[in-house]
Amino acid sequence: MKAAAFDYIKPKALHDALSLLAEAGDDAQLIAGGQTLLATLNMRLSEPSVLIDITDLAELKGITLEGDHLRIGALVTHTEIEDSELIAKHAPLLKAAAPHIAHRAIRNLGTWGGSLAYGDPAAEWPACSLTLRATMIIQGPAGERRISADDFFIDLYTTSLEPDEILVATEIPLATSQEVFYFHELSRRHGDYAIAGLAALAQKQGDILSQCAFTFFSVSSKPVMATKAQDLVNGQKLNEELIGKAVAAARAEIEALADITNSAEAKQHLIGVLLERGLKHMLASMR
Amino acid sequence: MSLKKPISMTVNGVLVNAEIEPRRHLVDFLREDLHLKGPHLGCEQGACGACTVKVNGQIIRGCLFLAVQANGAVVETIEGLTKSGALADLQESFMRHNAMQCGFCSSGMLLAAAELIEKQPKASREEVREWISGNYCRCTGYHSIVNAIVDVLEARAKGQKIKPVVAHA
Amino acid sequence: MELNGEQLIAAPIPDVWKGLNDIDVLAKSIPGCEEISRISPEEIHAKVMFKIGPVRARFSGKLLLSDVVPNQSCSMAFEGSGGAAGFAKGRSRVELKQAEGGTLVSYTTEASIGGKLGQIGGRLISASAKKIADDFFQKFATELGGEAIALDSGASGE
Repeated sequence: MKAAAFDYIKPKALHDALSLLAEAGDDAQLIAGGQTLLATLNMRLSEPSVLIDITDLAELKGITLEGDHLRIGALVTHTEIEDSELIAKHAPLLKAAAPHIAHRAIRNLGTWGGSLAYGDPAAEWPACSLTLRATMIIQGPAGERRISADDFFIDLYTTSLEPDEILVATEIPLATSQEVFYFHELSRRHGDYAIAGLAALAQKQGDILSQCAFTFFSVSSKPVMATKAQDLVNGQKLNEELIGKAVAAARAEIEALADITNSAEAKQHLIGVLLERGLKHMLASMR
Repeated sequence: MSLKKPISMTVNGVLVNAEIEPRRHLVDFLREDLHLKGPHLGCEQGACGACTVKVNGQIIRGCLFLAVQANGAVVETIEGLTKSGALADLQESFMRHNAMQCGFCSSGMLLAAAELIEKQPKASREEVREWISGNYCRCTGYHSIVNAIVDVLEARAKGQKIKPVVAHA
Repeated sequence: MELNGEQLIAAPIPDVWKGLNDIDVLAKSIPGCEEISRISPEEIHAKVMFKIGPVRARFSGKLLLSDVVPNQSCSMAFEGSGGAAGFAKGRSRVELKQAEGGTLVSYTTEASIGGKLGQIGGRLISASAKKIADDFFQKFATELGGEAIALDSGASGE
């Protein structure tokens, strides 16, 4: 199908983009990579009267090392993350996750910021940003504000972004030498939306894990952290018995939502499967 | 609201100027306005890969890219890449392995394969399969396509050429 | 798709019942409601703009009430067309019960979404329906001057 007609503007400066957005309100949609938006417009599931192309905005570009954190601009593509040396060194969880996103042709255009701003429950980056304890940097008519990933994702496709705001970048704490991570997505075919996924990270000292972050995606209306399972594992000697308890805790605490392919019970089960694999992977790295 | 926008892009090495509606996809512009029928339209949702073309050196979905977004860009389709010889060994290998039946997926498949060979010259068979999972084929069952790509990876690694199937004049 | 849930509203039953039947209250409670009118005691027409993620689909629909027991329960059949985006139809049953703190509203819904929205949005239909229902009750409760208190709503599967 072909999209309904719309106008197209490509501002050169962030403040212009913000004014255009404020002026047009509901009639406008922002386009960056367009991999979600254009599919939506092609199906006429939305008919905006104008698209505001933000791909020229300098503040949204680039991956830079800034002291104790990595700044990832909203316009950075999935491929740029996949291929970046800075990411490989300072945020290897993202490098592990990137090849799971759709397919290469889509990764070449789709953006980090786009994935975060939509907050699709099946998306990889929202879950990773929670696990990495990212900070979102947002610009609006009132200026800049910062919010933690934890507070950013509110509900299904609902983030803290107001209609007149633009996500500019995120800051990610740098990977430490003691960290261990696990990323996996279960799907019928490579590149499909996940049936269930896990982005996990922890610090290890000897046979103990601390600062555990276990974020599950595609099991609920937004990515969700298994906080009780995390609390169980933190500071305790990691062994098969503890893994069993953590798996049971994660299954009990997360209320999975069914979708068109899988029941809530199936997703509940897979939460445990993923966490078991993740913790066993972390255990193996300690031996 | 059919305000047309002026755009200028290089397509297969040729500078093209046009005035088009913003809602026009790149692949529709290439096929309908420039009569480059190589890239095909399948799902218009980005899933099937039949519309895959190259923009600024990277493969993209022609159905998920507006022609206006290609303003100032370098666009390459199967026509141009064939002419330049960039896909020669892949194309020979496809013919050798019967990796093509109706041909609908082939343009996208070849472009995807070419980027794999460039970015992951040491790709394993499993990695080839994962990479091309974004290109649907309804005819071949994929094995012949994977075999063809693996052959090219191996030949290149050894610095060899793929033997032409047909003797060229 | 099935959606079953319960909401506790901090308001007495007669107020809740009245609110559920008041076009003006519904206009302010239904997320994205652009137009709403009562054609007859049993029939309501509405135009609603659904905004979820990148989707902005305008639906025109009608609601037909039946088995009405005032201050207690009613059934409704609804159908809506979203133009090129698709269509929806379904049935719902709503029951009000006295509960500690106010009124317990229980609802069971069966719906099918067809067309493009059903195909593309299929994987998120349950989650979207739950969100719409949650948003509706939040706004509805605010309109009544009370509060919607979250309970385990147990949205069940396809």
